[in-house]
Amino acid sequence: MLTLLRDLRRLRSGLALPRPERPGSLAIRHVDAGSCNGCEHELVLTSSPHYDLQRFGLGLVASPRHADVLLVTGTVTTRMREPLLTAYRAMPEPRRVAALGDCALGCHPLGTASELVGPVDALFPVDLRIPGCPPTPDAIAAALLELLDRPAGRRLGRT
Amino acid sequence: MTAVSGAEGYRERIGTALAGSWRFAGLHATAGGTAVRVLLAAPDGSTRLESVAAERATAPSIVDLVPAAAWDEREAHDLQGVAFAGHDPLRPLVDHDPDLGRWTVPVRGHDPYEVAVGPIHAGVIESGHFRFHVVGDRILHLDIRLFYKHRGLERAAEGATLEQGMAYVGRACAACTVANGVAYAHACEEALGLRPTAELRRARTILLELERIWSHLNDIAAVCAGVGLAAGNTRFAALTERARRLNAALTGHRFLFRTVAVAGSALALGPDELRAAREELTALREEAASGWRELAFNASFQDRLPEIGVVAAAAARRLGTTGPAARAAGVREDVRAASPRLAYDGFVAVVPERATGDVQARFEQRALELWQSFTLLDALLEHPLGPAVAERSDAERELGVGRVESPRGATSCVVERRGDRIERLRLRTGSYASWPAVAHAAADDLLPDFPLINKSFELCYACTDR
Repeated sequence: MLTLLRDLRRLRSGLALPRPERPGSLAIRHVDAGSCNGCEHELVLTSSPHYDLQRFGLGLVASPRHADVLLVTGTVTTRMREPLLTAYRAMPEPRRVAALGDCALGCHPLGTASELVGPVDALFPVDLRIPGCPPTPDAIAAALLELLDRPAGRRLGRT
Repeated sequence: MTAVSGAEGYRERIGTALAGSWRFAGLHATAGGTAVRVLLAAPDGSTRLESVAAERATAPSIVDLVPAAAWDEREAHDLQGVAFAGHDPLRPLVDHDPDLGRWTVPVRGHDPYEVAVGPIHAGVIESGHFRFHVVGDRILHLDIRLFYKHRGLERAAEGATLEQGMAYVGRACAACTVANGVAYAHACEEALGLRPTAELRRARTILLELERIWSHLNDIAAVCAGVGLAAGNTRFAALTERARRLNAALTGHRFLFRTVAVAGSALALGPDELRAAREELTALREEAASGWRELAFNASFQDRLPEIGVVAAAAARRLGTTGPAARAAGVREDVRAASPRLAYDGFVAVVPERATGDVQARFEQRALELWQSFTLLDALLEHPLGPAVAERSDAERELGVGRVESPRGATSCVVERRGDRIERLRLRTGSYASWPAVAHAAADDLLPDFPLINKSFELCYACTDR
């Protein structure tokens, strides 16, 4: 394995591959706060061959502890309020919040008022809004790359 | 036409029906919790409702006759406040009781401990909580707590017009939006005394099969992901993407949102669109078959699948399991085989040769159904399609029922109306029916196998929670 990695590194330096345009990366933690599963299905496909967001340094991570960005889908339900806040509090600073999809943004959410807390920005500030019902993988990719390009975003992970 | 009875002998009538060929298809309390209704379905597609008054907010339980009614009764208690005499303990389902003892099954013995997973999971997965009772890696019992995503969609729809109701049903779940929408449309049309014309039947069947194709491709990718086989996962994820692009090309929406309406369809497909669609479907079919062959000969992948997560036929029937999960156990039941309101003439349900109800059988079932759907769609897309309507056939009534085979199984919708307004709407999806089987499948298996077992069902949380 070590030999393989060494060979790979030699190959890379030998080829003189261009450096990526975007420095840095973003680790994203997704939380479904009450979606219809549409945003999840599109988000999953951002890792599929047509989009392959990982090649830009955008990765979905398993724990909020590892994350720069909290990506929230759905109108926040009463039952997801606490788990969502727990995930948010578990993240290291600086942290960013992205609201994915119309429900998370508070556009025409459906349901019984007593079962819903409201849009994501009812709980904490939202840095990135990705509209759509659901947003296409293209739209999700473009929005997250824009977050990576933001001056504030570039500092992520370097503080 | 759904028969409705509500006199004496509620339990006896249900017991007799179930002893015959009738199957339990759902139970709900009416708005305000004054009565409880049980939906029964027969293999020939006919449906009937048995009602009983909930006097002093209590109705007789039928959970001893039909264990599949357990979740329905618990839901009716939490949401409509109906108690069920004989259902003891009546554990909370939609309500989240912080007291573990109230909603988990007590597990005693030498050294058992609990592993709590969720509601937030490690991947991009919907929210839900699993509480495993284990000894070492061996799962003794699994308590599943869902409804974290309960939005109160059914109650929100009460008072809306039948036409407006579609928005609530359609938003319950993106992955089953067509199946749920058609079940609702059928229910409304039965109440309105309408019957779809041949053109409307074809339009809806096309939409249902388009939904099944992307969904089954996604499920095959999910099982590969559950094993950690990136090659299979990415290959079928790419096919899922292409299937969604085809949906967008045909209907303007990748998930076919807003394509189903009550009493009509606006979907129009001209000869050029049809030709392009059939070509793409043929290409998808060939590519999927090639990917499937590759998986079939991948021994280290195939080694992971058999003899885990077993739901045998008897358990599937007892738990009310439906869809691919039931058929993989050899239960040859599919609502499509008796759907006069859709264009499935001559449809015969498939089951795998090795119908053992394990992960491998459920995996193979997806492929079998996929080939079937490609063949169905090719024939359905032969001739141009125009906008269509439903026409008057029967007298109007206060109540209607719709049953549709979603990618995840039989989905039933009951609509009770007052005038053109919804009085009560109940949507019981294939996912809702099959979740108890996931807990059954996990028992006796190893904790590290659970993600794979869960993926082999790939049930929705959204249309269960509503």
